[in-house]
Amino acid sequence: MGKEEILRSVRKNKPTLIPLPEINLDTFNETIDLLANFKEKVALVGGTIKELSALNEIDREITKLFPNARNIVDCTKSSSLGTVSISDKTQPQDLEGVDLAIIPGAFGVAENGAIWISDDRFPIRILPFITKELLIVLEKKNVCLHLHDAYELLSKRDRSFGVFVSGPSKTADIEQCLVIGAQGALSLTVVLV
Amino acid sequence: MNHAQKAEIFNKDEAKVNWHDKALWYVREKRDTAAHGVKGWEHLRDLASGIKAHVLSNLDEYLITFEKNAQKNGITVHWASNAEEHNKIVNKILADNNAKKVVKSKSMLTEECHLNPYLESKGIEVVDTDLGEYIVQIAKETPSHIVLPAIHKTKEEVDSLFQEHLGTTPSNGNPEYLTHEARKHLRAKFLEADAAITGVNFAIAETGGFVVCTNEGNADMGAHSAKIHIACMGMEKLIPKEAHLGIFLRLLARSATGQPITTYSSHFNKPGPESQMHIVIVDNGRTEQLSREDFRSSLHCIRCGACMNTCPIYRRSGGHSYDATIPGPIGSILSPGKDLTKHSSLPFASTLCGSCSNVCPVKINIHEQLYKWRQLITKDVKQPFIKKTILKMTGKVLSNPKLYGFGGRSVRFILKYAPRFLVYSKLNAWGKARELPKIKNGNFDQWYKEKRKN
Repeated sequence: MGKEEILRSVRKNKPTLIPLPEINLDTFNETIDLLANFKEKVALVGGTIKELSALNEIDREITKLFPNARNIVDCTKSSSLGTVSISDKTQPQDLEGVDLAIIPGAFGVAENGAIWISDDRFPIRILPFITKELLIVLEKKNVCLHLHDAYELLSKRDRSFGVFVSGPSKTADIEQCLVIGAQGALSLTVVLV
Repeated sequence: MNHAQKAEIFNKDEAKVNWHDKALWYVREKRDTAAHGVKGWEHLRDLASGIKAHVLSNLDEYLITFEKNAQKNGITVHWASNAEEHNKIVNKILADNNAKKVVKSKSMLTEECHLNPYLESKGIEVVDTDLGEYIVQIAKETPSHIVLPAIHKTKEEVDSLFQEHLGTTPSNGNPEYLTHEARKHLRAKFLEADAAITGVNFAIAETGGFVVCTNEGNADMGAHSAKIHIACMGMEKLIPKEAHLGIFLRLLARSATGQPITTYSSHFNKPGPESQMHIVIVDNGRTEQLSREDFRSSLHCIRCGACMNTCPIYRRSGGHSYDATIPGPIGSILSPGKDLTKHSSLPFASTLCGSCSNVCPVKINIHEQLYKWRQLITKDVKQPFIKKTILKMTGKVLSNPKLYGFGGRSVRFILKYAPRFLVYSKLNAWGKARELPKIKNGNFDQWYKEKRKN
């Protein structure tokens, strides 16, 4: 059952080999202000941008933005406000009450406001989704033009779990009315340093 | 009931049809704005189409490579020839792990295989966690659109469903309140789930990994809280290289909803600690469709739903009138391949305007395939007597200029002088909801000759 039968059927029914198209990335090249475009797209997808002149201002910014956050997980080691420590023993259920997660972003993508985060930088995969508010710290210089460049940057990574995050979770499943905050994080703040 | 009969029922509520029509057209307009903002958009479509055509011509090799690489990363790969095998495999994984509670994110494949009722018959609780899917699940319906599953429901309908199932207070259909109530309910379901089932948007042969796209974050909430993740994929979801995601992810969300990318594009390569990851590769008629040269490219589909949003027939007839897992133009070329008799009316649910082909991000020639299915269907499936007779007569008239001229004159005479009840009789389908244009004297031929003289 299954595999051999399927493969036999594919071999019988597939057409003669069609070559893989050559991809010329020059077609997609643009000279644009990467950071300005990225910021514009983050706003478009419902995220908030905060620019800091230095990383040590982050605590003050967090206290201002999230005055009611009690349970904070910091995966960047840049804030002293972390109250919940997690390890590889932490279970998803333990994180139900997390108010804020601070996660380092690897790079941003100017064309769509997406930021790549991966599980080598946060110890438990569910964290960026289960947290009420998500804050991603990103270095201004780490913004690429489009997804083609993004996958070039990702090509050498150690593959486990990673995700492009573009804005807070959202849905428009009730009469096409956009509601921010579906099953994942209710908000996304991108701190640029 | 065929598509036209079901569409007639949908059209009884005129206000709702008008809303449905406009809401989807608005999504189509957002798609246009998003597409026009991308330099080289048409080139992206060409590449996507070319890559898919290449994959189909080498699918066996890519499937083997994918399996090998996925296994290297600790993922278990299963193969299912049909829906029944697929459901049995999923059930066995659950049974082997004594899993009783399952959360599911959107997967048209599991709809196609009717997985939910199968698992429920085995005593397993399955909760659909995409909000739209959750709404249709508690309403005991099926999705009417592949991206917007509950587009046929009004907010008031959702309100009363939630009152009944979630004990919400009446809110006149406040979307924000209802969404947040669903969030609370679903969060509890995620955290107590034994297993999560997701679909697959793209599977990458080169890495053995796969990508799942959502806006709600429900696939991730499920996959990362349960210890077992089962990802179900149609075999045509494969792409050769990870770099090709750059092309497909640029096209997918823009074509679907006009977003530059979905909120979450999750890349799964290895199971998490103490967790299992399974992939079920499903054929279920796909290799048969692969054998049909004229219809093969329907397997390029990346399930964005753009063809539905743009289709004048879909917008005015609703997804349920197609009576198929995948409705709309793409469903109308996929479904006849599965059951020609059951779905014989679908290729006729089109004006052949070609708008679907024009927006398709992977350049499927949908309207041409609709036309080709019609050729096959009229040969194989008995057509209504009136349609057959009228078309036969039309054929004769159109092939004979004298008869055509006489026919034209007679029809103009009849339309002018015959009583209304005769002109707007049952035979005149056009006149059901519309007035015929005013009849003038003469025809084009006379007009043209007249002009040439001057």
